[in-house]
Amino acid sequence: MNEEPVFQSHELFRSLILLGFAIYIARLSATGYLQYYVAPEMYPWLRLSVIPLVMLSVNLAYRTMFGTKHGVDCHCEHPVTGSKLKHAAIYALFILPILLGSLLPDQALGVTAAAKKGMILGSPVLTREQLDGKFKAPDKYNVEFAELAKLLYVQDPIEVKPEIYSEIVGSIQLFKEEFKGKRIRLSGFVYRDAGVSPDDEFVLGRFLVQCCTADAYPFGVPVLLQANHPAVRNDAWLEVEGNLVTVIREDREVMAVEAELVTEIPRPDTPYIYLNSKAVEQWIQEARESSGGIKPGAGDDS
Amino acid sequence: MNKLFPLRILPILAPAAFILACMTVLLPLAAGSVDLTYLYTFRTSFLGILLEALPFVLLGSLLSSLVHLYVSEQLLKKWIPKNPAAGILTACILGLLFPVCECGMIPLIRRLIQKGMPVYIATVFILSGPIINPVVFGATYMAFRLYPEMVYARMGLAFFVAASIGVMIYVTWKTDPLKMASASGATAQDHPAHHSHSNQGKKKWTSIFVHTADEFFDMGKYLLLGCMLTAGIQSFVAKESLESIGSGPVSAYVFMMGFAFLLSLCSTSDAFVAQTFLHSFSSGSLLAFLVFGPMLDFKNTLMLLSVFKTKFVIYLAFLICTVVFTGAVAVDAFFLSQ
Repeated sequence: MNEEPVFQSHELFRSLILLGFAIYIARLSATGYLQYYVAPEMYPWLRLSVIPLVMLSVNLAYRTMFGTKHGVDCHCEHPVTGSKLKHAAIYALFILPILLGSLLPDQALGVTAAAKKGMILGSPVLTREQLDGKFKAPDKYNVEFAELAKLLYVQDPIEVKPEIYSEIVGSIQLFKEEFKGKRIRLSGFVYRDAGVSPDDEFVLGRFLVQCCTADAYPFGVPVLLQANHPAVRNDAWLEVEGNLVTVIREDREVMAVEAELVTEIPRPDTPYIYLNSKAVEQWIQEARESSGGIKPGAGDDS
Repeated sequence: MNKLFPLRILPILAPAAFILACMTVLLPLAAGSVDLTYLYTFRTSFLGILLEALPFVLLGSLLSSLVHLYVSEQLLKKWIPKNPAAGILTACILGLLFPVCECGMIPLIRRLIQKGMPVYIATVFILSGPIINPVVFGATYMAFRLYPEMVYARMGLAFFVAASIGVMIYVTWKTDPLKMASASGATAQDHPAHHSHSNQGKKKWTSIFVHTADEFFDMGKYLLLGCMLTAGIQSFVAKESLESIGSGPVSAYVFMMGFAFLLSLCSTSDAFVAQTFLHSFSSGSLLAFLVFGPMLDFKNTLMLLSVFKTKFVIYLAFLICTVVFTGAVAVDAFFLSQ
């Protein structure tokens, strides 16, 4: 009987921790800040996990208050062993994310993370090899890019929608010669490499997220400012409108924007970019309808 | 005991209060000079990785407790093929049925071993499950859409590595690899009978809760440590400084495998990260990254250590390193660079 209170205090701690996680996830989900941490595919999983968390918590709490030491006649539990200090450390470990999550304001990844992860110029859905020789291969994604390029070409200015950001950038990059001189409008955060970027240039970046922040992947388009333009602040969110050009960066030709209009915008509700083939299809559908089904043949004859 | 509790922590409370006081005085001063963005980057990465893994660990704990209560040893024996070769092959494709990532798999595997699943079959399942499953196939195909051979190379090599390690474990490892082997062995013996004969539904429900919570806290602490270390590496160590290590032909393999270990990405999203290295690394080393990462990384090593004896984990890690390395080099030479 002596051990009973110890065991129960463990159950109480665990119950509170589980409840803490449940409340934290529910609150993140309700406020919409969940998108700073995981991709939309994960939302249902996380929302669902609140239910077992609460059930476990309630069950533990119930047993703390009313149950006997073993509410079930079961000898298979891992005995709660170890020193007080060890337990304190373990519970601290569990409490840390809850405290960290609820006390500090939610922030999306920004320039610091981009610098560590390595900013990639151009769209991450294309790589150099693919551009150099292989893109003429009969591949359904290249067909999709060509399709996208055709529909983009008739727009003025080309609007880079966040839903299919990486695909549009990839498509323009693939056919960059054709797109030279076209007007484009896109938004992102300012990424300036302290030592490398000249004063009149920065990268307009975004994070592409597949699952969670662990695989968040920074990519962006170089923006060339006009000579007399005031310097831009790192991490600021901007909307840039200008003409497409190509520049040589990191030993390869990439698309860039000669900025004419630079406006500071609030951080968008959805700061990250996700890969979404449905959105691409939908966009193509809408663009076709709005252009009256006419297929301009300019984009793909490279 | 409860009354004594505050008295006992008094000696710790004094220095803690001192540190707290120091910090309240110093923090505003330090905040000006120290870049807080690093803290925020760490926080976002840490919580992101944790939130992504949490539902799966919960699911794994739940599955594990269900197996514990509803699958008897006899039943499991019937399911597992007697022939080791057939057993290994079945375990290789078991991932097709359970598309769970490794976070969810480890608690389940522990329970299955306790129930009498042979170690080599369990090992094969741990290794192949996170790679040979439809979700990962789809994700890899998306990332390497212009290199479909990479997708098949990944699946094939994972199959080969898992099967051959399974054979090696079958031949060389005869003892119980689980921690607290004697205790778990004993409970596994007398337990299923007890549960399968008790018809009290309410008790069974409660016991599902008890086991799930136990499992969750057991795994959770290792998961949390793994998330913290991974997030730390991701937010404080620059990719370039890591990249400079792996420039030679052999060091590229070593680097990509080490990188996979440190990043601890989920197998459903690592292909995308690997794809970004296409222009700077050989396809063989990328293949090593894709096969090695899901089998062995920071997060799952800590979780493995919570279940298996250290000696077994080291042995397994050694096998994975050597077989993946050899396999990736061979596939690169005979399949990818033609």
